[in-house]
Amino acid sequence: MDPDSERVLQYLTEVEEAAEDVLATKQQIVDLDTKRNKNREALSALRNEFSDSEKVKVCFGNMFIKFPAAKTKEMIQRDQEQLDKEINDLRNGLKAKVNRLNEIQGKPELRGYSLTSLSADELKAVNSLLKR
Amino acid sequence: SLKQMAATKVPEVRDITRIERIGAHSHIRGLGLDDALEPRQVSQGMVGQLASRRAAGVILEMIKDGHIAGRAVLIAGQPGTGKTAIAMGIAQSLGPDTPFTALAGSEIFSLEMSKTEALSQAFRKAIGVRIKEETEIIEGEVVEIQIDRPATGTGAKVGKLTLKTTEMETIYDLGNKMIDSLSKEKVQAGDVITIDKATGKISKLGRSFTRARDYDAMGAQTQFVQCPEGELQKRKEVVHTVSLHEIDVINSRTQGFLALFSGDTGEIKSEVREQINAKVCEWREEGKAEIIPGVLFIDEVHMLDIECFSFLNRALESDLSPVLIMATNRGITRIRGTNYQSPHGIPIDLLDRLLIIATSPYNEKETRQILKIRCEEEDVELTEEAQTILTRIALETSLRYAIQLISTAALVCRKRKGTEVHVDDIKKVYALFLDEARSSQYMKEYQDSFLFNETRDLIHWFETCV
Repeated sequence: MDPDSERVLQYLTEVEEAAEDVLATKQQIVDLDTKRNKNREALSALRNEFSDSEKVKVCFGNMFIKFPAAKTKEMIQRDQEQLDKEINDLRNGLKAKVNRLNEIQGKPELRGYSLTSLSADELKAVNSLLKR
Repeated sequence: SLKQMAATKVPEVRDITRIERIGAHSHIRGLGLDDALEPRQVSQGMVGQLASRRAAGVILEMIKDGHIAGRAVLIAGQPGTGKTAIAMGIAQSLGPDTPFTALAGSEIFSLEMSKTEALSQAFRKAIGVRIKEETEIIEGEVVEIQIDRPATGTGAKVGKLTLKTTEMETIYDLGNKMIDSLSKEKVQAGDVITIDKATGKISKLGRSFTRARDYDAMGAQTQFVQCPEGELQKRKEVVHTVSLHEIDVINSRTQGFLALFSGDTGEIKSEVREQINAKVCEWREEGKAEIIPGVLFIDEVHMLDIECFSFLNRALESDLSPVLIMATNRGITRIRGTNYQSPHGIPIDLLDRLLIIATSPYNEKETRQILKIRCEEEDVELTEEAQTILTRIALETSLRYAIQLISTAALVCRKRKGTEVHVDDIKKVYALFLDEARSSQYMKEYQDSFLFNETRDLIHWFETCV
């Protein structure tokens, strides 16, 4: 292969890899959010249908284990916190990845993309300007 | 009942026939430069003026890169040489995100506010602040809503809401408050909704396409949307650009309800401005805001007086200052408010800070080209001879006068049910409307019959002014 087409091929590979990276992160967020919602459903079921002293069947992999409800709740809650944090990290990382993809495709950087958002109070103060 | 009637009332349709006035520079779409900043002879509505357009292009790039905030440019040239067109071209090329404020020098003289206040407001309208709004929302299509009313009729209601995206589906337990807001928004299965996580506010985005056939009869205002993709709980980020002046206004509103009515704010206290400046700078430090220095364009800048010029001098030194572009058609003339003469009627100390772009008169070919563009813009067709004669008129009188003749001649042409403007139509309007030279001639001839006949004094006065 001549050097020109090799360079093109290398460039295209790079773009594809960056794009794949973005898509994979997005899918990962979706998967984690699915898990987060399932956990939330489980928590509300535990809250509404069982008392803390009861034992519930919890599925680990392909096995059901009887576990105290209070303990289970605690476990799931910890899992939720972990999930929230992970999703947040992925979202923040996604920005850098999208920027990189735009950069190697020669697209302009998204405006205001890397700004920190205003706090709720600050937004309230300028709210009438934003709802136009 | 009444409530239902109000809900089913068809929204008022506002269909005002748009009467579009065609502005003198409505044909300008940009500066007409190529990627290397070289001007094309005819492009984006611009014709000729190659050197000035190239200079404007260099300035444009500097504005875009944010290199020349707080600097000023003067476009100088005879009347009708494209000064305003160049400023408009710069505005068009900056894109919608960069603020561009235009005013004529005489606009700042008003009874409602002082000259410097008017200038301050114009300056602050030309500075944009980019901020970001971030919210966590739940976005999905309603699969099912199930509400259990207590048998007694009173007491807490409980319910379940099933939401889905293309990727997942989940069930939420509903409390009393959520049930109320869902029924208030009349949310039903098949609707696509968002719920703001922080406030619990529900908004209906429309009905899902997959449910389009559920009912035969549906209001025309029903909007169909796709089932949302991805995760249910999303982070929504919106970037807003507001001007410093707008922030000033909402913060000075508490001072009086008058501002709310007229949209006119009157004067804004300098303390308010200082507070806003401090806040915006704090936001910038924290990475919460980006400041976009825009462009303030002052046309007919020789109309400003010495007070205004000294204000401009000072305002340009502020670290929150836009790029100032001024235009004038005056040569060496008196500075308003003084007895001193100065080039362009601008004090020397301000002139010293300016980058000056000169425009020169158009030649015959360019004039013809501009008239052609204006004809296209005003949707008027001219015969070849009519074009030639109009070009001659433009060269002998002025380009503005010739442009005026386009639409008037088109009217005459339409009156005789013609489709193309002929030489005769142009002759007719040329006879009907005087250009500046013929008008002066007429005045000189008939001066005795005019009221307040002081022509000789007037001419003398003109000469001292110009």
